[in-house]
Amino acid sequence: MNRAKIRAIVQKEFADARKNKMIIITMALIPTLLVAMVLGTAFFMLNVESAGEASMDQDDLSIIPPQLQGQEPMHAVLIMLNDQYMFYFLLIPMMLPVYIAAYSIIGEKETKSLEPLLATPISTWELLIGKSLAATIPAVILTWLSFIVLIIGGYLIMPEPVFLAMIRPVWVVGMLLLSPLLALLSVFSGVIVSSRMNDPRAAQQVTGIFVIPIIALSLVVLAGKIFLSVWMVLLAAIIALAVDCVVLYFAVKLFKRETILTNWK
Amino acid sequence: MIKAERLTKRFDGNLAVHDLTLNVERGEVFAFLGPNGAGKTTTVRLLAALIAPTEGQAWVNGYQIGQDNINVRRSVGILTEAPGLYERLNAVQNLTLYAKLYEVDDVSGQLEKYLRLLGLWERRDEPVGGFSKGMKQKLAIARALLHEPPLLFLDEPTAALDPEAARTVRDFIGEIKEAGRTIFLCTHNLDEAERLADRVGVIKQRLIQVDSPANLHRSLYGRRVVIQLANITDPVRAAVNDLPFVKEMEQVDNALFISLDNPEEQNPILVERIVTAGGAVQFVNELSHSLEDIYFTLIEEEDQESLS
Repeated sequence: MNRAKIRAIVQKEFADARKNKMIIITMALIPTLLVAMVLGTAFFMLNVESAGEASMDQDDLSIIPPQLQGQEPMHAVLIMLNDQYMFYFLLIPMMLPVYIAAYSIIGEKETKSLEPLLATPISTWELLIGKSLAATIPAVILTWLSFIVLIIGGYLIMPEPVFLAMIRPVWVVGMLLLSPLLALLSVFSGVIVSSRMNDPRAAQQVTGIFVIPIIALSLVVLAGKIFLSVWMVLLAAIIALAVDCVVLYFAVKLFKRETILTNWK
Repeated sequence: MIKAERLTKRFDGNLAVHDLTLNVERGEVFAFLGPNGAGKTTTVRLLAALIAPTEGQAWVNGYQIGQDNINVRRSVGILTEAPGLYERLNAVQNLTLYAKLYEVDDVSGQLEKYLRLLGLWERRDEPVGGFSKGMKQKLAIARALLHEPPLLFLDEPTAALDPEAARTVRDFIGEIKEAGRTIFLCTHNLDEAERLADRVGVIKQRLIQVDSPANLHRSLYGRRVVIQLANITDPVRAAVNDLPFVKEMEQVDNALFISLDNPEEQNPILVERIVTAGGAVQFVNELSHSLEDIYFTLIEEEDQESLS
């Protein structure tokens, strides 16, 4: 594996993406909206009295998990809400890069630049890893940046216990470790789809397969059935890493240069 | 440089290239001619290790196709039918990617060399999307040459170019030829092939014939001279027919079309006999056929053979 070739692919993809303002705007939009939603919800609940009162009936209190029983009810509800939003932060790097990854292969075919590229002495591993990294890196950086903005915003507007819950190790480890691995999972699956189909939108739909279990888990957390621990996140990261390796292997095996060159019109 | 033995390629049972046996020597310009769908691009893709043969084997620069594909790709440059450039990137960014993929040592030096050589240096920082077709084609040629490959595949290098751009590209190919590089040229442009190629191969799924244009001409038509006379009389006709080396004679108005094996030695004797028989010789020319005539003759023969 030649790292210089992988780097060359990544640099080219970055240069190309920088010239495409639509991609940059689309990528920045979702994290920005999510940060605004989390902070806006907290601000609304803390500052509009009727909203706080309305949410504090007995049914709500009954779903608070034992780990949060010592907290004020409002704080406990906010922590649970924020925990659910954190899952959406984990989904950002899954949603953002898949279209870019898929289009980076399908687009090459459409513009007829794939043939000269495949005629170079680059291996399929190098090509797909380069393309995947180029799609993953900006998505992960954007996720991390939005997480930092969220923490700064949380520090400014949230009560201390809620803020401390936001930066507890489970989410820091989740953001640093799990989000890149989930992004890669999404990108590799997008690459598989793009090597079999001509439409990058198909790759986005396939990513839904991986998004659904995470949304389901977030609902379980919101219902107070599970309170996430660092060990659970680490276990999830190990599983994600293993699945990443398997999906990448299949992405390379299913990337048939000849079929892509001769059958795609 | 290129050695192909019984190379065959089928796509879902459809024969694209059949039983291709071919040798291309170092420093040679080999033109590959054939109608659309004849298998020219498929042959280039096979020899550039982009697709695998169904049957047969081939070696390019000593590396076997299918066994050592990375080295095959490293040792050839390819200009594909479409330039396939990244239109949002500038010329330097386009070439830098390929220089790195081909592991070129002096990236900036090679970039400058070919951008200057092809007259693109001043436009190097502009997005390629704004280039004319000719400029894009020149940039694609530069991309194929960056790593100084000994063998270059050029697939329709002047197709879709205006005459001026086509001429610039053709002149540059001539310069590459002078530099001693081996060129495998796929083209529809028979005039281009005639000007540039040392040998031509005519393909229509199978390779119909390979030789230099002169030898193909000789094998198809023999050598014919045209002798223009003031008038043609019976004694003149008889004098020509009596010569043992005259293979065939045809009269059109006051011109005699005569097939000979060796006009350089036989023309003086022929002219002397005609003059002795009372003929007034005005002009003597060798009749030549263009590569276009040769091409169509071969393709028609192939079509008739296929039908029969």
